[in-house]
Amino acid sequence: MIHLENLTKYYPTRYGPKYVFKDLNLTLPGDRDIAILGENGAGKSTLLRIIGGIDFPSKGKVRSERYISWPLALGSGYQRSMTGRENVRFVCRIHGIKDTRAIEEYVKEFSGLGQNFELPVAGYSSGMRSKYNFSVSMGLDFDTYLLDEIMSVGDVSFRKKCEEALDAKRESANIILVSHSMNVVRRHCNAAILLAYGRAEFYESIDRAIFRYENL
Amino acid sequence: MRARSTLAIQKDVVFAIFLREMSGRFSGYTFGNIWLVLEPLLMMGVFILLFGARGRGEFGYAEPPIFIFAGFLPFRLLWNSTMRNNMNALGSAKQLIGFRQVKLFDVFLARTLSEGALFFVVGTIIGLIFLWLGFDPVPKDFLGVFGYCFLLWLFAAGFGILACILSEITQEIQKVISLISMPLMILSAVFFPMSTIPEPYRSWLAYNPLVHFNEFIREHWLQAYTSPVADMEYLLAWTIGMLTVALATYRLRWKKVLAT
Repeated sequence: MIHLENLTKYYPTRYGPKYVFKDLNLTLPGDRDIAILGENGAGKSTLLRIIGGIDFPSKGKVRSERYISWPLALGSGYQRSMTGRENVRFVCRIHGIKDTRAIEEYVKEFSGLGQNFELPVAGYSSGMRSKYNFSVSMGLDFDTYLLDEIMSVGDVSFRKKCEEALDAKRESANIILVSHSMNVVRRHCNAAILLAYGRAEFYESIDRAIFRYENL
Repeated sequence: MRARSTLAIQKDVVFAIFLREMSGRFSGYTFGNIWLVLEPLLMMGVFILLFGARGRGEFGYAEPPIFIFAGFLPFRLLWNSTMRNNMNALGSAKQLIGFRQVKLFDVFLARTLSEGALFFVVGTIIGLIFLWLGFDPVPKDFLGVFGYCFLLWLFAAGFGILACILSEITQEIQKVISLISMPLMILSAVFFPMSTIPEPYRSWLAYNPLVHFNEFIREHWLQAYTSPVADMEYLLAWTIGMLTVALATYRLRWKKVLAT
């Protein structure tokens, strides 16, 4: 379970505070795969980043006992001058994993980067980077994976691999996903949060959520 | 994944960033980590040449290379590098902050620790080189030198953290600090002992806390030198005050600094 308590986020602007959402109270079940729906600027990614602990609410808090991954987004944080392997080591170290060798090999294998894995991340194309990013997070065992639009990049074969890997993880883990592609959402999720007008609603049925979202 | 205490997480994170700093630092250079020693050595060489060429080879208290070694190395590595690396921590922090375990303070901590370790290693290597060349680089009072270097290091870290946090309010702070860092080296008695400065300039210069660090280090390093101005209370007050203000400012503003 992930509890959002009085979650408020605003950005100070020269026209006064601009609220993204205000006083959200939600409980996200740990056994459902949840999509976050909403128009551009509704705060989908912000909410994901706050759940992932890398952005901070202006008020309120997120409470959870689960191991939550970092939000997998296109540009997330790797040292560009370091190689793929070195970055995996770094991620393992900050997650307290001492024996990094097995995970390094897993990521190399899964991402299909081959030799590029031993080269600096700066040279990766955006497709390669998202493959890499996804593979690293699959190498670690989280209870909840946060995915931000990452499913829509990468080639077809890799996307299939991702789906299989996610299905395998589903026994022990769930995902929270931000995507504008309704196909991806339908394929992977069985519940949804709709962010609109500074508020959030939780839907048990993905079809109802999509219907509401498309008729905003 | 196993649960860790917050302290264990911080330890892991600081260690990881430390390794990352070390491996990333000179990775773009042909000579790699040799630059760690080569850079201060070259700069000291230039200063020794400069002072030699001006016919001012004598400082009176020690051979010129040792005098410059005792003054320049702590100032350059402990003050300048530590301060600057902490001040610029935000850039590298923004890359790392995509992981919830990494806090801005861990970056400060890792950078400060790595600068301290570097000073130790580089100082030892250069000291050995001087020993091999036939000079006497060993400090008179090792523990004293170590203690004042430690205080200078803390002071620099505090100053750097404060500058980093405040530069979120206005970027100009970093510009101003870069501008004054060169004159500051001259005003901090790095290349001359304070005993050669006449009154009233001596008391004016003595308002600069860095003068006191340098003078104390020199006093405990060189055989015959006794500083006319070094004041323990003044130095401690600055160090403790700087650390207090820096940590308090960090605690109040770290979220604002990271907000994108």
